[in-house]
Amino acid sequence: MPHVSVQNLNKDFKIYERPQDRLFEIILRRQRHQLYHVLSDISFAVPDGKSLGIIGDNGAGKSTLLKLLVGTLQPTSGEISIEGQVAALLELGAGFHPEFTGRKNIYLNAALLGVPDDNIAELEKDIIAFSELDYFIDRPVKTYSSGMYVRLAFSIATMVRPDILVIDEALSVGDMAFQKKCVQRMNEFRQQQKTMIFCSHSMFHVQELCDIAIWLDKGKIREIGDSDKVVGHYEDFCNNKKTYNSIREDIPTERDTSQEASKANASDDIQDCKINSIAVKSPDGSDIATVKPLSDVLLEMEVEVLVDTMEGHFGFAFMKSAEEPIASFLTTNADEIELGVFAKGDIVKVSLVVEKVAMRVGEFYVLGGLADKSGLLWYETKFSKLLAMEANKGVGPIIMKCDWQLDKKG
Amino acid sequence: MLLTILREWMLTPFANYRLFHNFSRQDFLVQFTASIGGFLWLILTPVIHIIIYSFVFSYIFQIRSVEGFGETTFVVFMMVGYLPWFAFADSISKSTGLLLEKAPLITKVKFPVQIIPYVGTVIPYLTHAIGFGILLLYLATQGYLNWMWIYLPFIFFFQFLFALGLVSILSALSVFLRDLQQLVALGVTVWFFLTPIIYPITMLQNEDVRNLFLLNPMHSFVSLYREIVLQGQVHFIYLQIIIPVSLITYFFGGWLFMKIKQAFGDVL
Repeated sequence: MPHVSVQNLNKDFKIYERPQDRLFEIILRRQRHQLYHVLSDISFAVPDGKSLGIIGDNGAGKSTLLKLLVGTLQPTSGEISIEGQVAALLELGAGFHPEFTGRKNIYLNAALLGVPDDNIAELEKDIIAFSELDYFIDRPVKTYSSGMYVRLAFSIATMVRPDILVIDEALSVGDMAFQKKCVQRMNEFRQQQKTMIFCSHSMFHVQELCDIAIWLDKGKIREIGDSDKVVGHYEDFCNNKKTYNSIREDIPTERDTSQEASKANASDDIQDCKINSIAVKSPDGSDIATVKPLSDVLLEMEVEVLVDTMEGHFGFAFMKSAEEPIASFLTTNADEIELGVFAKGDIVKVSLVVEKVAMRVGEFYVLGGLADKSGLLWYETKFSKLLAMEANKGVGPIIMKCDWQLDKKG
Repeated sequence: MLLTILREWMLTPFANYRLFHNFSRQDFLVQFTASIGGFLWLILTPVIHIIIYSFVFSYIFQIRSVEGFGETTFVVFMMVGYLPWFAFADSISKSTGLLLEKAPLITKVKFPVQIIPYVGTVIPYLTHAIGFGILLLYLATQGYLNWMWIYLPFIFFFQFLFALGLVSILSALSVFLRDLQQLVALGVTVWFFLTPIIYPITMLQNEDVRNLFLLNPMHSFVSLYREIVLQGQVHFIYLQIIIPVSLITYFFGGWLFMKIKQAFGDVL
């Protein structure tokens, strides 16, 4: 059974300002480098027969981690234990010699991967068939397109039947048809209870192909767990990145606004109304912090009228940040609602059921508000606490309710 | 620990026979694949060398024969030393680039890296053995053949070990010290002129200076080839030098290479 586990792995790179500094350091034994921590304290174990996806921003240390696993880099400290034959696809055709034909390169690569002598001839046909290179197989590799390159490299790496397959960003090059074949091949691989370690920026592939995922952020494990969940969180992180700071700055008090604070506000200037509370609940009335995609949510707010006669409209909005709405719900659009005129001291409970929330990933605030009759001037608004969508399978920002039907004729 | 390292080093081409074979074949063939002349160059290169040196030394310098080697013409005398030297110089010159050229492979694929100096030394030796073989064949028809010739492969093998040791050291160090590329290129030229190849050692009048040349192992190798091929005799002093020197260089180079190969990934 292939087995991969990593304990307290650290990797530093020594950065020398000038190449001769490296020499001086050896001779003079005085430190002349700066340490750059690429990976710090990485620990994980891949359960037998499961596949692992590694995701993260550029420079997060994904490729370094893969190189350490493959063994082309040595860890600064920590332990890596790997049982089983490893085949790695860290770069397109790293072992290819451009002057030689694809066929000769098959033999060379298979030898690099440690395939026994007599198996290669047997595998050759399969590799050529899978890579779809046809007569190009007898042309020098330097004449190949990058798609052909990766097809041949992928075919060889998977055809040698390793116990552990390590792949770095390989799928992004081939055309769609070949990508499909690769995914099929990798799925077969999983079914054979072999271990696959896969690093990609394609969240879809990571979700589809990996059981568990690691989210690397600046050399540390930010999250590890079920790939659906980790990918969801990461996607959300990326979507929010550009507004990540502004949320915090723009609405610093929305979550911990105490009653005192808002009362103090109220006494300062003359207000028309005050929003006492805003809540997001499930339809049965219980408070929730996360929302299941396509589930219903109940939005509630309590408004206290502070002036004698007040007419107006109520509204809710889902907000990504203080400035960025996702969806809005306004009573101006709902003719059937009786709004009436409110008197001072009235407390109005407003509730709205939003059906089948179509967001797939992300976090949002609910904004509740009260506007004047025209619906343009807002008297008062209030943010709810932060809500998050629960992780789920799929790609893209929204999710839609759907019904499948299959008809088979004949 | 030391023994396991040396054992692994010694067994490298055998334990990874397939890889060794494939790499060697690739590097051997790549010299000719893109060229029209192809394998013709294997024969053409030494022949051209022999012709041009004959022209310079026999026609221009009018050097005819060498003291102590009887009727042997100077060109033959020189070529017997020059062709094995060529193999040595070729492997040393290429050594600094060996690992740098294969950097993508070393950083991306896990394989016994120590195979690279082996391949890098075998290829020039194999290539130039062909030229040397052609010369020997010619000399055999000229009546030089004698039973001492059976020692030639052994001498050549020790020279190979000596070169392999140096190639290992230079290739590994050049990863960290890129200046070695220039240094080695210069060093090979200096070494060439300090080895009695285009001149006989007997041209040196001073006995002490002559003995100083014994410090240069290549002088011993070249002298051995000449004595065996042309005179059918051997001076044991040369054997006493080359056997320990070759073995020590080979093992030390292997040990050093195995020790620092872990760091290649970080630097390349």
